Amino acid sequence: MNDTLKPLVKPFSIRNVAETDYLPVTLPWRPILWVVWIIFSLVGIMGLIQRFLEGHLPAGYGSYVPWGLWIGIYFHGVGMAGGAFLLGGLGYIFGWKGFHDEKNLRQMIVLAVSTILPAFFAVWLDLGQLARFQNIFFHPSFTSMMAFNSWMYSVFLVLAGIIWVMSYRPKGNYWLKPFVCLGVVFSILFPSQSGAFFGVVDAKGYWHSALLPMMFLLSAITAGSSLLLLARVLIEASADRKLSGEELENEHAMIGTLRLVVLLGLIGYFVFEFAEFSITLWNPYIHAPALRLVLFGPYWWVFWVVHLFVGGLIPLALLLSKWRFGWTIAAFLVAVCFISARLNVLIPGQAVGELAGLQEAFQDERLRYIYHATPMEYWVGLFTVAMGMAIFVIGRRINFFAHSVFDPKPDEAKTSDPNN
Amino acid sequence: MKMNRREFTRSVALVGAGVATTASFAFKDRLPKKSSDPAGAETVREIPPLESIPQTTQEDPLLRMERELHKAMTKPVEERKWVMIIDQRKCVGCHACTVGCIAENHLPPGVVYRPVTSEESGEFPNVRLKFTPRPCMQCEQPPCVPVCPVKATWRRPDGVTIVDYDKCIGCRYCLTACPYGARTSDFGRYYTASEAEGASRLQGSPLCGSDPHMAYEDIPNHELAKSWDRSHHKSPMGNARKCTFCLHRLEVGLLPICSTTCIGRANLFGDANDPESLVSETLAKEPTYTLLPHKGTKPRVFYIA
Repeated sequence: MNDTLKPLVKPFSIRNVAETDYLPVTLPWRPILWVVWIIFSLVGIMGLIQRFLEGHLPAGYGSYVPWGLWIGIYFHGVGMAGGAFLLGGLGYIFGWKGFHDEKNLRQMIVLAVSTILPAFFAVWLDLGQLARFQNIFFHPSFTSMMAFNSWMYSVFLVLAGIIWVMSYRPKGNYWLKPFVCLGVVFSILFPSQSGAFFGVVDAKGYWHSALLPMMFLLSAITAGSSLLLLARVLIEASADRKLSGEELENEHAMIGTLRLVVLLGLIGYFVFEFAEFSITLWNPYIHAPALRLVLFGPYWWVFWVVHLFVGGLIPLALLLSKWRFGWTIAAFLVAVCFISARLNVLIPGQAVGELAGLQEAFQDERLRYIYHATPMEYWVGLFTVAMGMAIFVIGRRINFFAHSVFDPKPDEAKTSDPNN
Repeated sequence: MKMNRREFTRSVALVGAGVATTASFAFKDRLPKKSSDPAGAETVREIPPLESIPQTTQEDPLLRMERELHKAMTKPVEERKWVMIIDQRKCVGCHACTVGCIAENHLPPGVVYRPVTSEESGEFPNVRLKFTPRPCMQCEQPPCVPVCPVKATWRRPDGVTIVDYDKCIGCRYCLTACPYGARTSDFGRYYTASEAEGASRLQGSPLCGSDPHMAYEDIPNHELAKSWDRSHHKSPMGNARKCTFCLHRLEVGLLPICSTTCIGRANLFGDANDPESLVSETLAKEPTYTLLPHKGTKPRVFYIA
């Protein structure tokens, strides 16, 4: 086989990462991830088949709660993409230890793409007219935050592609960092716009808050950083080498920075959330049905257990400890559980009608202010996760393949991580 | 910062250009634009007047509104201002308007243009039931229009907000933006799903999905004076749908179905630009109110309590 193509087919192998202790070496991470991916893919394909054969009929959303789990996944995915790029881009521009080289930049781009594409897929499946999605690009109305958002994501993807290509010729290229700068600006803009997407809807009192864009940006940075941390640890766990010397120092520095960002992001997000909730609830006679749904409604556990306890307090405790594997667990919990932050904005905002008695006026299963995600929605949700994992792995292979083609430095190639 | 002067200058220029372009797109679609809707002489309709029924001073409001409608249709569309007035004192909550609307527009399950809410107040024996029919408010400042990402919904020159079912991508953003809940999504359901002859045989077939149904449910409707055939998952299936004040009926000189089916003559409709019309007269004489006025949408559906 051609030497250049070998890395493409070479499977991951798990080696000792005892130097860093971010993952216990005794566990077979590669088979575990494969099993997870296969299960998610198979279950997800079942959901997809159902979606394409039966349309929206097996879904739980209706006309009064028109957006459900898939839209939550969409905003979580694009948020993580923005957050990951923002941090990686800033690290590259400012030369933060561990973030400063082009390999990391490319990894970060692959991570951003592997979260944003499944997010697009989720929102595409949510459309009533799948074959017309391109109208948003060819006939956009920029008074709509949705059109504005879609264009932002698309421009961001193009920018990411340009940066990825440029990163192979960094020396003497005076456009790379300017493009990274522009990418960073976009990765601030579009997660904030995700908040504005809801914030501009005057009809929903719970959404109509100027704090929402800030909260979405902060949650994007927090979840994106945690995903970067998690990806970094898994990459090292699957690398065919031991880290030592400067590389090890860089690794520690990068994970240390990410740990700090996740920690501060968590604290910041909960401070914002406290500000929002406490102001709303301060007056004992205030009528805040959406917020009461969040705190005491049928899905109270999403806020108190998933969001606050598992996605907030446990990661905070773990990140404050010196237990390095605990940081990885915290990153995983934040990356997964922060979808509850999105859902806690999305669903309660819709679940309260402005006109009294509308639900009772014309009774139908699709005309209710209640939403429960159906198995099909969960299955398709798992498919998006599997899709992200696949894009990430394929992206990294392409990274290495391109690296060996465009940047063949023999001395470096021998010693560098083939998966980088 | 690990950046030389050249990189810094280019960064500032690139970011500046990016932000400026973004801002220009944001403002571009806010500038006033000329409506592409048909207007002027081509929208004038010559509808034969109701000569077979002699006009009297005490005639049925329906007849009067019908005559006024014919008169309004002789004007170009931009000179008409359709308004609806719902007299809650006369509404008995019979839901004839809801049912009439469903029949007229061939609405599938879960799609409703005109539900009637009921509200009970007082304590026995002093109780009152108040009914509030809720069509689309045809707002002067409709919040559902600017949120559409593909320009599939807009306000016509006569004030009726419509959806182009051929453009709508079914994102349902407009559903969330309407404070009145006046838009519903057509999720592709049928009343006779699984009840149709041979349904059990067709159940799960890729041709019918899980929803085989009786053929009459595929008969096209004629909203916006076009034929819309839902069979084979065609629009408006998958789209946002809403009340249009029965524009297809107005075009041929018929009142909206909710007005004609109202047994209490509680639903008045007409051209507010005609100072002699029943709606103009009622708006001048009776105290009216609109739903959710604090939303600033300026509805063109008025209520008399």
